[in-house]
Amino acid sequence: MMTKVIVFGIACVLPFFFIGIINRTKARWAGRKGPSVFQLYYDFSRLLRKGEVISKTTSFVFIVTPSLNVAAALFALLFIPIPFIGSMISFPCDFIAFTYALGLAKFMLVLAALDTGSSFEGMGASREVTFSTLVEMAFFIVLGTLALLTNQISFEAIFATITVSAGYSLLVKILLVASLFIMLLAEGSRVPIDDPNTHLELTMIHEVMILDYSGPDLAFMVYAASMKMMLIALLIANLCIPPNLPSIAALCLFIGILLFIYISIGAVESLIARSRMSHVPQFIFVMTALSLTAFAVVAFFLLGGLS
Amino acid sequence: MILLLIGTALFSVGGLISLFLKEKYKSVAFIGFAALAQLFILPIVIRMLLSGGQIEAQVYFSEPFGISPFRLDPLAALFALIISLGALLAAVYSHGYMKMYSGDTAELSSYYFFLGLMSFSMLLVVVVQNALLFLLVWEMMSLASFFLVNFEHTKEDVRKASIYYLIAMQIGAACLIAAFSWTSAITGSLDFNSFKSVVCNSGNNSIFIFILFFLGFVTKAGFVPLHTWLPKAHPAAPTGVSALMSGVMIKMGIYGILRILLLVGIPDYRLAYGILIISIITGIYGVANAIAQHDLKKLLAYHSIENIGIIGMGIGVGMLGLIYNNTFIAALGFFGALLHTFNHFTFKSVLFYGAGIVYSQTHTRDIEKLGGLNNYLPFTSIMFLIASLAISGLPILNGFISEFAIYTGIAKSFSINNIAITIAALMGFSGLALIGAMALLCFTKVYGICFLGTSRSEFPVTPEEKEYSLLLPMAFLVLAMVVIGVFPILAINMITAAVGQFAPDMSNTAMPQIISLMTHISISISIFIFIIVFFFAVRTFLLRKKSVQVFKTWDCGYQKESSRIQYTGSSFAQPILQLVAELVPQKVQVHKEQDVFPTHASFESHSQDFSERLLIQPSIRLLNNFLNKFSWIQSGRMQQYIIYGLIFLIFLLVWIWSGK
Repeated sequence: MMTKVIVFGIACVLPFFFIGIINRTKARWAGRKGPSVFQLYYDFSRLLRKGEVISKTTSFVFIVTPSLNVAAALFALLFIPIPFIGSMISFPCDFIAFTYALGLAKFMLVLAALDTGSSFEGMGASREVTFSTLVEMAFFIVLGTLALLTNQISFEAIFATITVSAGYSLLVKILLVASLFIMLLAEGSRVPIDDPNTHLELTMIHEVMILDYSGPDLAFMVYAASMKMMLIALLIANLCIPPNLPSIAALCLFIGILLFIYISIGAVESLIARSRMSHVPQFIFVMTALSLTAFAVVAFFLLGGLS
Repeated sequence: MILLLIGTALFSVGGLISLFLKEKYKSVAFIGFAALAQLFILPIVIRMLLSGGQIEAQVYFSEPFGISPFRLDPLAALFALIISLGALLAAVYSHGYMKMYSGDTAELSSYYFFLGLMSFSMLLVVVVQNALLFLLVWEMMSLASFFLVNFEHTKEDVRKASIYYLIAMQIGAACLIAAFSWTSAITGSLDFNSFKSVVCNSGNNSIFIFILFFLGFVTKAGFVPLHTWLPKAHPAAPTGVSALMSGVMIKMGIYGILRILLLVGIPDYRLAYGILIISIITGIYGVANAIAQHDLKKLLAYHSIENIGIIGMGIGVGMLGLIYNNTFIAALGFFGALLHTFNHFTFKSVLFYGAGIVYSQTHTRDIEKLGGLNNYLPFTSIMFLIASLAISGLPILNGFISEFAIYTGIAKSFSINNIAITIAALMGFSGLALIGAMALLCFTKVYGICFLGTSRSEFPVTPEEKEYSLLLPMAFLVLAMVVIGVFPILAINMITAAVGQFAPDMSNTAMPQIISLMTHISISISIFIFIIVFFFAVRTFLLRKKSVQVFKTWDCGYQKESSRIQYTGSSFAQPILQLVAELVPQKVQVHKEQDVFPTHASFESHSQDFSERLLIQPSIRLLNNFLNKFSWIQSGRMQQYIIYGLIFLIFLLVWIWSGK
């Protein structure tokens, strides 16, 4: 129990470190030295010590949302298996609770954006819900594929039984990892869907929704967003890691995979530009297509003989 | 049983008595009788839900009805509970809401009379098990609700909507009459129990009979493509009635389908897949159309269609579970369907009640003209928000529990090694996810645009909440939502007996699993609530000595703030509507000023109902063309009509003669 709590506690503080990795990668790619990987921790603690400015049009929704977002992200973390300790909570179909808790956070985030009555934030909110609608459907195809492949319906059981023994399951894994990586870019508001560095243009989604937040509330929002990114990165890492490794080796490999994921996000951001808003759905449909292909492959090999 | 029937009759007695009272006592008298009816109905119904079994009373009517069985089983009890509570809440709500129409005594009399009649007939629908009597009370329910929809009959669009509704109901009823006469012609009996041999899988033509029944009930429930009456009738009716119709009456269609399924036993696989696929289409179609609406009540009507789709998916999953002999899946499917039926009653009623308050205070249902209502109607706003979260299936509230059950049923069916069910399960899984995500989009739009921000138009009077009778029903239902959301075990206990009727051997195998699943959910949701409260406390602690300034919204340094710079409902929904343009065609009218100094420009967009345009209107046109050929029969000349009578009499004479 003690180790569980400690590892979980470490997982709770890691998201900022990984965001720091992305920023460092981008800086190195551009030939700059870049900020320290711990920069976000300084920013976070500074924001926590500040007061706030709140818009006069806002209501209780605006005030409740940041706490709820952090809570939902941490609650979702409870379901994700981490080598060494497994999931904190696991029951059949826990991934539904995972997705819907994040859905609750998104609902309130969008409302908080509309609460300010700002045209910018309305725009961000509209785009956010549209794109996440598409992502959610594709994510459920990924989950369905995993359920079909492993015959299990909880995160822990799925990742414990998923194997690379058969040839096709490697293909499936590659497809699913690619699919989840697109989801990571979409839900994490990264290039090419959204640009975390533009704060004042009509191209942005997530950043514009939290324009009116300041002080501790802003700190909560930033933390929740980075945690949400890490949740999906954790899923990818779980998918990549071979089962039945000794736990210490598994943990090291796990962290290595996570670092690799974040470095590749930095690489993607350095290499390509944000796509046009009207092209974003097409990019997300790639995720749908990948996951559907994965599903078709599994269905074909598992049930192919049956009519 | 007799107590239940007395309780049922009390509704219509209440309606009848309020006919003769002074205007201000009408509603009070009706509420009194409705509350008294609860004392008779609730104890029996709840005991039935908890303990199971069946109560039966044989009533002897004169011919043609004959011996008519009245039966109450857990399934009927669940629906009776919803009807009884729904009718009482609608009565309480109407007390406040109908003050808008005070002064019009005659209209109000008929309102309470038909409200009583509708509640009475709905309760009878779930207990009557004689085909002829069933059709009678079924029609009574449709007619009573028709008169309620037609309440503001001085308005032309209300008249049109109610006639449309009446015709749709008659088409449904025609299918039911055909189905019932077919079955009773084979069995020679009117008792539902005797239909078993006809509709069960081995019976001849059982699939066609089932489809006839299905079509009849589906028209009431509002499955696509027979849903078109809902978005017309719901906005036209007074809000208390819209809530009762959407929350309770359309469930009578679901009840009918379930009642027939009980007789069917293990269904044909084609029916199971058919229902599942129609339900997925219904769900997606309903929510996609809801997103496009500007009219608050019309939007909610489309959401009823969506939720009927979700209930149907539960039924479909349950049927597949029965076919593949997996009790766990069957139990989860029917559990999800039945619980969602109850849940939809709770949140949809609250949403309609909220919409009614908005309408009565602002005199508009156009979302684009609303905004900032949270400042004027704080209580309504919170209730509406909670109901919006619940209808989107988000955790802590009851919608999550029923959708979770359906999801789990679908996810479990991936482990059945069969290609057909695997593909169906994937469609259900991603379809339900898509429905959920689009419902989230739609309700962020509704709540965000109507209640948050600042108001987009001048309200004729400052909106305020002064009627407690409008707020009380909402508070009661929201309480139920939270209780079921946090302690789903309570709901399980209420529904187990009804689910057990469909999956008979579930108590040993599936039930412990479901209970442990729901305990897990209960615990994790409690943890979730704890984390939320914890972080809110942390936030409050951090800000305890800090300055919190209130300032205007950051607007890029723009000097003239205006509520018109806010995002509107249409602009909010535009990106997704562009993606589903094939499903929800938009009619756009743009008027641009071409002058050097543009003065006036306008933009209008309206969504069109796909099935209305492609299915309903063409078939009406065809029917019109065909029937026009017979228009010479109705010439308007009295002489000709007398001839018809004569021809008929001669025909009768010849017939009787030849018979001998």
